[in-house]
Amino acid sequence: MKPIEVIFTLNGKDTRVSSDPNRTLLEVLRNDLGLTGTKDACGGEGECGACTVILNGKPVNSCLLFIGQVMGQNITTIEGLSEKGDYHPIQKAFVEAGAVQCGYCTPGAVLASKALLDNNPRPSDQEISDGLSGNLCRCTGYKKMMDAIHLAAERHSND
Amino acid sequence: MTEILKTIGKAEIRKDAWQKAAGKALYTADIPVNNLKHGIVFRSPHHYARILEIDTTDALNMPGVLQVLTAEDIPGDKIFGPLVPDQPSLAQEVVRHLGEPVVLIIAESRKEALAAREKIQVTFEPLTPVFDPVLAAKPDTPQLHEDGNVITELNVQDGDIERGFEEADIVLEEVYHLPRISPGYMEPETSLAVWEQDNSITVWVSSQHPFTDQGFIAAALDLPVSSVRVKSSVIGGAFGGKEDSSLSILAALGAQAVKGAVKLVNNRRESFLAHPKRHPAQIKYKLGAKKDGSFTSLKVEAYLDTGAYSSYGPAVGMIFTETLTGSYKIPNVQVDTYVVYTNSPISGAMRGFGSPQSHFAVESMVDLMAEELEMDPIRLREKNILHPGDKIFTGVIINETANSLPICLKNVREIIQRFQAIKPSPGKKAGVGFALASQSMGLGANVPDDSTHRLEWAPDGRILIHLGSPDLGQGLATAAEQITAESLGIPFDQVVTLELDTLDSPNGNVTCASRMTYMAGNALIDASEKLIQQLLIHSSRILDVPVENLLYKNGQVIKPDGSKVPAVEFVSRLAEESIVLCSESTFSFPYPEDTTPQHLPIGMPHVLFCFGAQVARVEIDPELGTVDVTHFAAIHDVGKVISQAGVEGQIEGGVATGLGYALYETMLQKGDRWVDSFTEYLLPTAKDLPHHYENIILEVPEASGPYGAKGIGEITLVPTAPAIANAVYDAVGVRVTKLPITPERILGFAD
Repeated sequence: MKPIEVIFTLNGKDTRVSSDPNRTLLEVLRNDLGLTGTKDACGGEGECGACTVILNGKPVNSCLLFIGQVMGQNITTIEGLSEKGDYHPIQKAFVEAGAVQCGYCTPGAVLASKALLDNNPRPSDQEISDGLSGNLCRCTGYKKMMDAIHLAAERHSND
Repeated sequence: MTEILKTIGKAEIRKDAWQKAAGKALYTADIPVNNLKHGIVFRSPHHYARILEIDTTDALNMPGVLQVLTAEDIPGDKIFGPLVPDQPSLAQEVVRHLGEPVVLIIAESRKEALAAREKIQVTFEPLTPVFDPVLAAKPDTPQLHEDGNVITELNVQDGDIERGFEEADIVLEEVYHLPRISPGYMEPETSLAVWEQDNSITVWVSSQHPFTDQGFIAAALDLPVSSVRVKSSVIGGAFGGKEDSSLSILAALGAQAVKGAVKLVNNRRESFLAHPKRHPAQIKYKLGAKKDGSFTSLKVEAYLDTGAYSSYGPAVGMIFTETLTGSYKIPNVQVDTYVVYTNSPISGAMRGFGSPQSHFAVESMVDLMAEELEMDPIRLREKNILHPGDKIFTGVIINETANSLPICLKNVREIIQRFQAIKPSPGKKAGVGFALASQSMGLGANVPDDSTHRLEWAPDGRILIHLGSPDLGQGLATAAEQITAESLGIPFDQVVTLELDTLDSPNGNVTCASRMTYMAGNALIDASEKLIQQLLIHSSRILDVPVENLLYKNGQVIKPDGSKVPAVEFVSRLAEESIVLCSESTFSFPYPEDTTPQHLPIGMPHVLFCFGAQVARVEIDPELGTVDVTHFAAIHDVGKVISQAGVEGQIEGGVATGLGYALYETMLQKGDRWVDSFTEYLLPTAKDLPHHYENIILEVPEASGPYGAKGIGEITLVPTAPAIANAVYDAVGVRVTKLPITPERILGFAD
């Protein structure tokens, strides 16, 4: 297939890639752009949330987006959260609440949490479990992830 | 006077969490390598078939294809296996399960390798597969391997079961069925191998024991072990499933063939089909008890389905067998366990290693017995639990850690009262249930069960741990750092763990069996003492003070006049003399000859056990049959908390996996295929976990453990399913004997 030119905003920067249009955003992020913080756990079938990125403020599975679909859109990956070397408050909360074990689902879960808190700064338990329900984790039992989101929300409202 | 502990028991922040949360941690698939080639595996489309011909010509002619390998192209050993060498790296003559690797394609890109796979032509002659382990165990069933379908038969007995059943007032018998489930680690199997110009190879693995990979790779590539360097990357979960080779042999064969760098990554379907699962089990469980509740006799006949290849099946059969009496004293026991080959996906090691299966039977049956005896199930358990000094049916004497069992039950009683007081939601039926659990630690008697680790005092004053066993994500490194920091009296921040590299690291043996905090902890305490001795000997020379007049405390050398010199001053000066302070220690799991029974097969018995209990409150929709676990409490004795956050994380994660085992997970056979994706195989999500959750962590010290600690990794999911099943019975009066507890089973639409 003939490559297409895709221009989009990635982590706040104008980005231009040339790619077969039938490749996924996940493939382009990991293989062309070297952004390996976005993970693949289900084989690109949209079942696990490990490849979650934020598209125009909403969490999406990057394995289900063709690269052509992000033309002109705004994408945030995990690398975009701590670009200046300073960790995002949600990353800090995940680390400090003990929500990180093997860490493979962590980037996706952090981004899903960010999208949740950006839209709902003081979510309830129910809203948090809804917000995390697309991100599978086998290590933590989700409890400390939920603690982390509460912690980040509290810190934010105390600022 | 008790010394106040500085870091042991604290919720220290694990050091790798920052990189992981930032997306910067490098898992095997993330490691950047120049000129990387990609491997794709052609897998068997049949459950069981003879291979008549493999034609790779068309695939070889596809664009970008560099090599197409079959079993014939393997220069060394074509067969591997952790306990019994029975598994071909690439199938020869016959395939024994769906998804078995047959051909390896190496191409410039993954896309080209995938396209070439379509051109592989294999002529199969399908054979009639066998999936039922009971049928497979019969001698007139076609045998999948030369030595027959029953790979392990364990017959263990103690006392006289017939007399025991005669003494019983009530004898109950039930058959329990446990499903095939996936370890479900998020990172699929991945390996990256780089062929070096000096004809050696470096292989990155996601493995619980890189030294095993090293041996397998050397044998398959026909290289000396010294030419194979295996490095552990960051590991995205393992749960037992990465004790086997996770693509490392194939990646290495590919790299050797193209004399370059080759990466193999499984997708989830390949992971489901071709990597080890928890053994499905069929357990016929017969228990006798007197009217006063005391157990008199137990007879068990059980079949474990190990699938097409043995993996760790024989060893799983052992722990399964040894835990069939649960946490109870039963005077007369006979167990016959059969571990059987079938044409199903391979079963092997998975967190709990047989104990989750045995406990579903034990703890369901004990609840049933309480009902038949019209006795409080807590009281019945109190009457029969093990106490220190009790001898179990394997001949092992239970030590003081059994003192945690009455404490567990006391907690259970208090929690049950609280949970029972909660009113059901409108339209729902509520129930409360619980289960006890026991889990062995260690690899078993008469197998090598040693663990070696090394400490190095860096010139900048930091302590480097050359950990000989990988951290799978559970937090082994943090526990090791806390134990080392405490033993040396230096801050936690000053201790760093290095990633395992077989070129440099000591062999700590496999990270598994609830043994690593115990094994590495003991070794590191000893290594710390040796390191202090070395420091004092060198300080003595430098200060010209007799060594016996020097003391060490909290990172400082204390001179006879009481003045203190920071250790770093000596260490940095020694570095100038090219002297590095290093100490290594091996801890061997204690199997004292005089107390370890020797009449059992090699690998049995296990002599140290952990205990715990869990309590579940469920709400069931009587029309839909759906189960909601609303409240949950996990009570676990860890001996001594080393890392607070780590222990809690192990328990919470274990409960979630146990909940999946109870309610959702099963790798069903559907027509001619297996469930092989997360669409049909349901892992618990954040919405499935209890709304109310509590941890109760007990500390009954294990005398041989580091600071009194024992294992916690596996037991956390052992009581979960029977606790939920007992709660379901309490709610709706249905005794489910097959997992998972689906709505169909609750409503009686399925057996």
